[in-house]
Amino acid sequence: MEREEIVLGNGAIAMGLVESGCRILTSYPGTPSSEILPEVVRRVKAEGLNTYIEWSTNEKVALDNAFAAAVAGKRSACCMKQVGLNVAADSLMSAAYIGNIGGLLIISCDDPGPHSSQTEQDTRFMARLAKVPVLDPADPQEAREMVKFGMDLSEEFQIPVVLRPAIRVCHARQNISPGPIKISEQKASFEKNPSRWAATPKFRLKLHGELNLKLKQIGERFSSARQFNFHNLEQGSHYTLGIVAGGVPSAVIRDILAEEGRDDIPLLKIGTPFPFPDALADEFASACDKLLVIEETDALIEYLLRDRNKVMGRLTGHVPEQGELVPEVIYGIMRRVLKDLGLKPFLKKEDRDVKELVNGLGLPVRRPSLCPGCPHRASFYAIRKASPKAIFTSDIGCYTLGLNLGGVDTCLDMGAAITMASGFYHAFSQDEKKQPIVATIGDSTFFHSGTAGLLNAVYNNARFVLVILDNEITAMTGMQPTPGIGIRADGTEARPISLERVTKGCGVDFVEVVDPYDLKGMNDTLKKAFAYTEAEDGGIAVIIARHPCVINNRENAIPERIRVRVTDDCTSCSFCLERFECPALYYDDDLGRVNVNRAICADCGLCIQVCPQNAIVEVKEL
Amino acid sequence: MKENKQITNIFLSGVGGQGAILASNILAEVFIGAGYDVKKAEVHGMAQRGGDVTTHFRYGERVYSPLIKQGSVDFLLAFELLEAIRYINWVKPDGKILINNQKIFPPAVNLGTAQYPDDIVGTFKSYFKDNVYVVDGGEIAKKVGNIQAANVVLVGAFSNFLPEISDEQFVKAIKSLLAPKLHDLNEKAFYEGKKAI
Repeated sequence: MEREEIVLGNGAIAMGLVESGCRILTSYPGTPSSEILPEVVRRVKAEGLNTYIEWSTNEKVALDNAFAAAVAGKRSACCMKQVGLNVAADSLMSAAYIGNIGGLLIISCDDPGPHSSQTEQDTRFMARLAKVPVLDPADPQEAREMVKFGMDLSEEFQIPVVLRPAIRVCHARQNISPGPIKISEQKASFEKNPSRWAATPKFRLKLHGELNLKLKQIGERFSSARQFNFHNLEQGSHYTLGIVAGGVPSAVIRDILAEEGRDDIPLLKIGTPFPFPDALADEFASACDKLLVIEETDALIEYLLRDRNKVMGRLTGHVPEQGELVPEVIYGIMRRVLKDLGLKPFLKKEDRDVKELVNGLGLPVRRPSLCPGCPHRASFYAIRKASPKAIFTSDIGCYTLGLNLGGVDTCLDMGAAITMASGFYHAFSQDEKKQPIVATIGDSTFFHSGTAGLLNAVYNNARFVLVILDNEITAMTGMQPTPGIGIRADGTEARPISLERVTKGCGVDFVEVVDPYDLKGMNDTLKKAFAYTEAEDGGIAVIIARHPCVINNRENAIPERIRVRVTDDCTSCSFCLERFECPALYYDDDLGRVNVNRAICADCGLCIQVCPQNAIVEVKEL
Repeated sequence: MKENKQITNIFLSGVGGQGAILASNILAEVFIGAGYDVKKAEVHGMAQRGGDVTTHFRYGERVYSPLIKQGSVDFLLAFELLEAIRYINWVKPDGKILINNQKIFPPAVNLGTAQYPDDIVGTFKSYFKDNVYVVDGGEIAKKVGNIQAANVVLVGAFSNFLPEISDEQFVKAIKSLLAPKLHDLNEKAFYEGKKAI
């Protein structure tokens, strides 16, 4: 046996992909899925494998690409976060009917909590909607095994398979031993068959019938997939209560039952919730009077269990309908059910004293902020200064944190900075009301979903200022390259896409590039842009605020370090704290004025331009 | 096989950028090396932009879930004072607490609209008596040569709670995770931390 490694869940998924003989991988980054692709790159390089890997511009693009490769017979995979699957839904629904030749695994990572997402949506329901099998791992090792199983299943039944790891699988770590790698020699081929690959509605009906048949067979297969679906019933025993669980909650429950020594409560663990392993579930249900269903994030297993009278879960009010099922929540659910059913209570008592103590302390929250030196801070400061009364539509990325500076009013979905800006414009202009609007969107988000909305806005005569915050990286998700910078997923050279040319190509005549570190230049350009949106022959104004991310590219972000200090001219007006919101500036009780936290200051020197009292100055020596 | 009852729960808390994740990776190397089943859960993404960062760390003969239940933490390793007190209710009554004596103000405190809590260590001591330990990780790391090594200083102090693991095992784990040029500095940081409590 090779040495065990401590592997991140996403690394275990990557390990599974490499071991399964995956030849094509596409993805768009998004927490908690982002580490899968870079881990595959690392392993592929280490093993010298010929695997095609790309960061695609968005999830639909990624899935279409992976699907085509699978149609050509290659084992393919596509990974994304759960809301990314919404973007790829069009592709998924249709691909389910058509099916694939080489295995096609879609990995969509859920975020119960939510920790880093707009919704707590449950990918298992997307799979159910599309009518494709879905696998729900409980831990990194199981995720890795499910990748290999899913790839084989997809190829055998010619159906896309979805793996749904939750964030506590993706970002858990455990010890794992590497396994053998399947070397797939399958050459690309394409056999023309328009009634399948380009099916018209008439043929779609036939494909739908075939899909339903596949699901029936896979459901039967799942009842015997005991590596993922298992229970611990004693033959011939009957139980007052049985628990049915999947994914991360099933692991939590196994720990709780072991810790409490509860042999009187059997567990049915379901790793393949759709198509539902009916035979296995019926066997379990018949041995229990009541079934408590604990799953994340929605109620899928609960709906699919056939004997509804036995089931306790979300629909009966026993399980919370939102939020992550963390151990203390599951403990609480089980505690209550044991009491309701008159079963022996848990040994462990709740420790109330200290819990109330923490609530009583009123501890200040530690909200996330843009980093010291972040160029977005400069952009938001300038935008708010140039047009304090504007509606600020924004988007998904680090820059959503511009809300701390009062520079973000809306955040809906990828690309909605632009589409909501045009929507607001038309709503207000209908009433002949002049309402300034500034849309902010990151470079990667613009490439993901910006162009269709911009084309639409130009075409329909909307007027607003669009600021593309171009920090030359996808920062929030962990520094993945964007199409703008000329680097591909594996580090090789790419053909860079020019934001200037794309926006001009969308029909925008006002496109200016400015460095937001030059606050005055940024302010002047914004004024010009507002004038353009109001001019008779004007239109949409695009400003590309270009400055490298201070975390990804510090050298170029801050070529000359400007050390600052606060002088006694500071009147404690708090302007810098509230409007610039740099984490390195704080009110110092002892000095009775603002001070600089040297430990985190990025030495960008921007605050010198911000202070109304000119009390922040550069120091040559500290 | 031993029962699950013997899972040990370590909870690490701090502020993004303090190196809590590296510290938990060192622990992972150590316990895997010692033959345990290890599971841990980290926070990535939005929370790393200056937000609070926590890591659940569990080891034992067999661990199913990486998540710790509130009230069952054996060891709290806190890299910052406010991020220590925030999790006081996670620690079990006989749990041990190691706190880095550092304050990082959240935005509301910077603005003067919220108060940084007073006497955090005193509050801990009123509940956990002699099981509360405080280390000046930053100061010790500075003396050793680089404030960045504060996390390894804390790991060194923390190693006093784990007498079953030898210093050599810790040092080996630290070296396996850091670039060779950082080995000497961090080995020193570990031993200075070890002496600190």
